Amino acid sequence: MIQVEGLTKIFNDKKRGKKVAVNHLNFNCRKGKIFGLLGPNGAGKTTTLRILATMMLPTKGKVIVNGCDVVKEASKVRRQIGFLSSETGLYDRFTPRETVKFFGRINGIEEKIIEKRIAEIFHNLDMENFQDVRVNKLSTGMKQKLSIARSIIHDPPVLILDEPTVGLDIITARTVIEYVKSFRDQGKCIIYSTHIMREAEKLCDMIAIIHQGNLIAQGTLKELKKNSSFDDLEEIFFELINQGEN
Amino acid sequence: MSWKNIKLIFIKELLGTIRDRRTIIAMIIIPLIFYPLLFAGIGYFSKLGSIKSEEANSKIIIDGAEFAPQLVNYLREYEKIEIFILEGDSPAKLQNGDIQAILVIPPDFKYKIEQEEPNKLILKYDDTEAKSRIAKQRINQIIEKYKDEILIQRLSRLDLKEEFLTPLILQEENTATAEKMTGSFLSALLPYLIIILIFTGAMHTAVDITAGEKERGTIATLLVSQISRLEIVLGKCFAVMFISFTSMALGLFGLTLAFLSGASIAGGIEGVKFGISVNTIFLLFLILFPLVGLASAVLVMVGIFARNIREASSYITPIYMLTIFLGIISISQGMELTGKMFLVPVLNSSFVFKELLMGKIYWNHILTTFSANMVIAGLALLGATRLFSKEEVLFRS
Repeated sequence: MIQVEGLTKIFNDKKRGKKVAVNHLNFNCRKGKIFGLLGPNGAGKTTTLRILATMMLPTKGKVIVNGCDVVKEASKVRRQIGFLSSETGLYDRFTPRETVKFFGRINGIEEKIIEKRIAEIFHNLDMENFQDVRVNKLSTGMKQKLSIARSIIHDPPVLILDEPTVGLDIITARTVIEYVKSFRDQGKCIIYSTHIMREAEKLCDMIAIIHQGNLIAQGTLKELKKNSSFDDLEEIFFELINQGEN
Repeated sequence: MSWKNIKLIFIKELLGTIRDRRTIIAMIIIPLIFYPLLFAGIGYFSKLGSIKSEEANSKIIIDGAEFAPQLVNYLREYEKIEIFILEGDSPAKLQNGDIQAILVIPPDFKYKIEQEEPNKLILKYDDTEAKSRIAKQRINQIIEKYKDEILIQRLSRLDLKEEFLTPLILQEENTATAEKMTGSFLSALLPYLIIILIFTGAMHTAVDITAGEKERGTIATLLVSQISRLEIVLGKCFAVMFISFTSMALGLFGLTLAFLSGASIAGGIEGVKFGISVNTIFLLFLILFPLVGLASAVLVMVGIFARNIREASSYITPIYMLTIFLGIISISQGMELTGKMFLVPVLNSSFVFKELLMGKIYWNHILTTFSANMVIAGLALLGATRLFSKEEVLFRS
């Protein structure tokens, strides 16, 4: 569903000069699987996901999302994806119902289908009791549920989730993880970036470890463990980083 | 480009802005409630002040009263004047406000009257004090009356008639109609007010829905939708235009209410007659529309470029100052624009507004202004859309 080949992104900064944010990445994510991008802050995860979501253009390489090229068919790609990141905010002066309806409309969904989807999503995410309360009055957990609802209103086959649990309390984070699992069970292709090892261990079918823009290892947790002298993902991660730096 | 998508963004921005308490305060409460109350208050207190000053007696000191008993009697007859005898430091009393004026009569007053020589009286008063100014007026009136009486006596001695002193009479007739007078009065200030209200109305919304969206992290959610960058920018720009225009209209309405309430309480208004024809109103809108578009597009462009609301506000401040500067130029008397000067945005609109309010229709000015402002607004929109497509602008941190 997502094919990434030789993806490179170089930023030209007037003060700092050229900076390679992502260097020749290759990976594939399949339907019904969660593909984890694991790496510390500044590793290039967000840049990669922004390119996948058509918000940025790659400097080099090719990215195909559900058969569509992110550069040549950006609009088609946007129809296929739901995007959620820890940085994405919500409109404070709207209610959850208004918010989700708006995103349904700007994604070109028919009114009837929007209503049906809203009823379904609000029921599944247990949002019915606060659907008409303004966002600025909602708790963090409620807001995160709304962010999820907003990103799936158009029923995208691909979900791009950029550190969706950052800044959340343990209970809300767990709820988010449960929903991500349920989306996988619905057959969606999910690409999930995180710097939390436990999360990657629990959630991801495939893990790619990314460091300073380079993909230094990828495989299932089992495969990563097999190729390492350690059994714990955190230890494997540091081992790989050290190898990379040496 | 889909108008449906532009409308979606337009409605979303409008709804968000209307639900913002700050907008309600700035757009409705301040112009429609605060201004009229403020002006009514000012009118009430200034009237109260002037009534008090008018009603109060003027206390004056006559220095040298003994030299002109007849004149002093004249002054005494006027019921609102109280005369005090000169004692101690009279200038200090004037300074303190204990008395309102000092009239100094020279010792040779009587002699000079008899000799028919000019007599010089000195009137000391404090121009910063309303009561003192009133005292001056009152004394002036009495002196004039006394002067006329002396003149009549002298004329009769020479066997001349009073008319001897008025060989010519110049009768002035103002041919301007009440409508034109009102237009002239409006044209002095209205263009400046319109410009300031348009910019202040647009500023908050323009920043909030551009830099504010960046700051709150909602921009990414729009970028991954089916709506194009151009549609987003147009939707936002139209929303700013709508808010800017509405707040200008409400602002003008509020200021008119305020002016009328303040002035009517202070002493009534006479001779105000609005004589603007439908054609002029249409032309005013023709000039207004690109100006509102220009302000909105420029502010939206700056807002998109800025990292956050604070940065946007600091970029907008010099633009706002420049607008005020251009507005002030336009209200300065005697200044006239020529040919190419009508290409200067803001300034051109304010001069065409002036001309239209005075009932003058110069098509070359109107068309130059309309086209120049439309082109600049279009360029700013194009710039805003280009900035909105630049990832280094959208994701600057």
